[in-house]
Amino acid sequence: MKTLPRFWRNQFCNIILGTVLSGLCLPTFAQTTPLESPKQVEYPGIIQTFEKLIQIDFEKIQKRTDLLTKSGKSFSKLSSTTNLDLEPDFLNSIVLHSDPGYLKMASTDRCRFYEAILTDLLKSSDGKIKNILMTYLEDGKRESAIIPKKDFLTKVVSEQCPETQKNIAAFQIKTFSETLKTINFDIPNGIDQCKNIHFEWLTNPRTPFICQIHEYIKEAKQNGGDPKDLQQRKTISKILETKLSLTQKDYIENVCKHLDDENLFCDEFLNVSFWTKIANGLEDSLYAEDICGPSSGGMNSICLARLKKEQDLCLYPSGKNPGLRPQPNCDQISLALNYSSFNANFRDCPGNSDQMIATNMGRILNHFSPIQLAQQEGTCSSLSAGVTYIFNKKFDNDENWGLEACYDDKINGKEICSKTFFGKYENDPASYTNVVASILKETRGIDDSTKCEMVENSEYNPILLRFKSGCFIVFEKDNCHISQCKHKIILNDRPVDVVRIKGKANLAYFPSNVLNERFSQHYLLTRDYKKNGRQISNLSSVHAFFKKNSKGIIHGVGCAEDLLPSFFKTYALNQCTPMPFVINGVIKDKDKVTFVTRTAGDSLQAPRLISWSSVYSAVKSYQKKHPIKQWTMYGLD
Amino acid sequence: MVWISFILILGRLWASELPALLTKHSSETLRFISMDGRYAYVQKKPGVLGLVSSFRSIDFMTDNQNNDFLVTSSPYKGRLLIESIPDAHIEMNLHKNHKISVVDYGNTVVRGIGFGRNPKLHLKDEWITYYDTSSKVIRIENLLTQKKYEIKLSKKPHPFFIPEVEMISSRAVIYSDINENGYAALISYDLQNLKSAVIFKSSISATRLELCQSKDYLAVGEFPYDGVNRSSKIQTLAIKEFTNLSTFTTIYNTIDQDVGNIVCLPDYLYFVKTLSQDSQLNVKITEAVKLDLKSQKLETKSNLKSVAQIIEMDGRILIPFRGAFYVLEGRSNIGEDILKSVPNKEELQIDI
Repeated sequence: MKTLPRFWRNQFCNIILGTVLSGLCLPTFAQTTPLESPKQVEYPGIIQTFEKLIQIDFEKIQKRTDLLTKSGKSFSKLSSTTNLDLEPDFLNSIVLHSDPGYLKMASTDRCRFYEAILTDLLKSSDGKIKNILMTYLEDGKRESAIIPKKDFLTKVVSEQCPETQKNIAAFQIKTFSETLKTINFDIPNGIDQCKNIHFEWLTNPRTPFICQIHEYIKEAKQNGGDPKDLQQRKTISKILETKLSLTQKDYIENVCKHLDDENLFCDEFLNVSFWTKIANGLEDSLYAEDICGPSSGGMNSICLARLKKEQDLCLYPSGKNPGLRPQPNCDQISLALNYSSFNANFRDCPGNSDQMIATNMGRILNHFSPIQLAQQEGTCSSLSAGVTYIFNKKFDNDENWGLEACYDDKINGKEICSKTFFGKYENDPASYTNVVASILKETRGIDDSTKCEMVENSEYNPILLRFKSGCFIVFEKDNCHISQCKHKIILNDRPVDVVRIKGKANLAYFPSNVLNERFSQHYLLTRDYKKNGRQISNLSSVHAFFKKNSKGIIHGVGCAEDLLPSFFKTYALNQCTPMPFVINGVIKDKDKVTFVTRTAGDSLQAPRLISWSSVYSAVKSYQKKHPIKQWTMYGLD
Repeated sequence: MVWISFILILGRLWASELPALLTKHSSETLRFISMDGRYAYVQKKPGVLGLVSSFRSIDFMTDNQNNDFLVTSSPYKGRLLIESIPDAHIEMNLHKNHKISVVDYGNTVVRGIGFGRNPKLHLKDEWITYYDTSSKVIRIENLLTQKKYEIKLSKKPHPFFIPEVEMISSRAVIYSDINENGYAALISYDLQNLKSAVIFKSSISATRLELCQSKDYLAVGEFPYDGVNRSSKIQTLAIKEFTNLSTFTTIYNTIDQDVGNIVCLPDYLYFVKTLSQDSQLNVKITEAVKLDLKSQKLETKSNLKSVAQIIEMDGRILIPFRGAFYVLEGRSNIGEDILKSVPNKEELQIDI
């Protein structure tokens, strides 16, 4: 098909579709032979046959129109008519001359067909349709009449399709901006989701009107249509264009161009480089910041262009958000991101995490309910700790959080400890800044208004006036993690040594025994946070899960030695490094299936493609090692 | 290349179903078993390591109940290494150091060594090396004299990098390192004058160097990391000619992105080879292959399609696969009761 001219394909589809329309959608049209065979038929080539068909059609419609005009059979004069339909020859003319995409959309519903005529998307032998040829039953006899488009709207469409008038009103210049806000321009992240979105557009009552605007702008740009009102149309077109964002314009163009081909529609989303999407402002520049540097005003377009050509640029990004290195090459990251809709709008520095359970939990929780980034202080890996702690506290599981800040209460002669996490998040009382402040209040008598602040040691300069008074927790960035954080507390320019850190932020991801099941993170996610938790143990369950929940995620724990064998080498029997992960997309090509996977060691912005076979091996191996042989891969939605 | 492919095709035809390792112990609890099955180190329950030998069983190491154990040996069979991994299922931390101990082969008297990862015995089990992830230092200790050395690795933006270490003499430590641009190198460290020298530097980035040693050679495998399009190569170096750096001999070279994970034996080595790959989707068919050092003939030894690792345990070569262990070399069924010879004094001696 690819080697044949588009014309051939269109006409072929038109004929097929014409047959379908006559036979299935509008059965009453099939009362006469739509096209009479010419007396002499020559078949020197397929194109000549089509030319003949078009010529026959043109002549036939002309004759029919002339006849009906002369006979004065105007629909407006008719009062009691039933079984109104389009004339079969007229319908065939539309099928022969219209864009196959718009025809496909029109064939989904009678109202869509009428709307496609009203919006000039369907064409007849005369081009844009001005008059409609109708048939109707009068006194039990089928008659034909010609009706102007205006009357067609008021007398036929309004009666049969009441929604159409509302949509016409919604797509006026004055109302267009408001209407646009209510339209969903969902960007798909998988082929199944994409096909669903395509189907929704195909059957959406607003599609004819959206595509009318697209065609209107296109025609004005190409100086097409009637030259008399070209200037006016150009002005209107400009007004309409200003109401559409670049993304919306591209999106609408893709919809209107590919209504008849879901694969081409999806290619525009899934096979276009993710880096191009960033350059066009369709995706967050955060994904390229570690590689191209921070964007101030706009991402470096030269760098983004290089990412498409130089695969290796993504392997060792220079940004300060290290994860497992090397990252996948730029092509693989781009493909993975195209198939992922995971909320990855923050940095969590996985290379600096000493508790990957919290890192993974932070990612999962952010996906379902975005993190308040503005309310965070401290290292970026500790952000996950704050999010995870607050989540556990919400469901009365903070008792199992092992990390505590302690001091000696000399009056009562006992040690007092408070649950904590390093950093500050949502000004939670367990934020280390708040815990230290309350300890200093008890031990050093500081007033209530004194707050403690997390400061990186490279920023701390005791000479500066800013650091002369107040409480500062000065931490070493490279040695400040989730469970352990090398730091010192400075109060009014003097170090204080009253706070002791006890325990670690240890958590059970999956239950390690029957008794503590309800304290595990998986239990909280599925039962308390109500994210279901469907067991995923074979490939069909993965497909079924993502087909049903395109925004769902699969989370789990597997052995890193199976998941990423080139990074983690096995040298002992039953060696398994538990690695939490999140899967948020599936790419399938024949029998090959690969997952868009973010292990807790990987940068959130650089997912990996990991085959089903490797993921399954990793989870299966971990199950064998797990104290209660727990299966550890579940879908959350 | 054509020749290698041809051999591979033949090899694939010959690759038969591998026998699974059968022992009297459950495969999940087993941590080490000797070639003849007489000594088995078993994790009886979380935090408890026991030795089962000569119809006697003794729990000789008890740690926190969340700890997990790993036991490794060397071809010399003088000692065994024990790693105790703290809070194995509740602290998922790639920077975590493990408690490292040594025990005489088949024995239970544990001697604590330190904290680190990837411990390895060298030179008739008289030396031990391991990597301290918190201070980024390779620690080297002579187990007889207890003399200690350390090699500080350069600070690098590769948070999870762990070097491979081999000792080819009581003076020379060979280890792998990587620079900030992802170029791997092999460095020789002289324990006598405490000086180091680069003996090999990779010409391409994003590859890792693997080391293994057997009999009289050192093998250096260069394999790409996952998600990177690079070639694979294995070179050998005769240990006696170590001073002459030009003596690296390439015994295997391919454009395929092999997984690697090489295991060295006196006359051949095993590694995980990529037989076919969709580099766009990163989907691979990988199998264990055997490379003959003399003829350089390659033979596919497994038919599992997704082999990730190969391990050597007391001379037995195993593929760990989805919780089971398939035997590439060595007896597979050591679960049957057969009359054994009278145990010698060493076997009966279980110190507590």
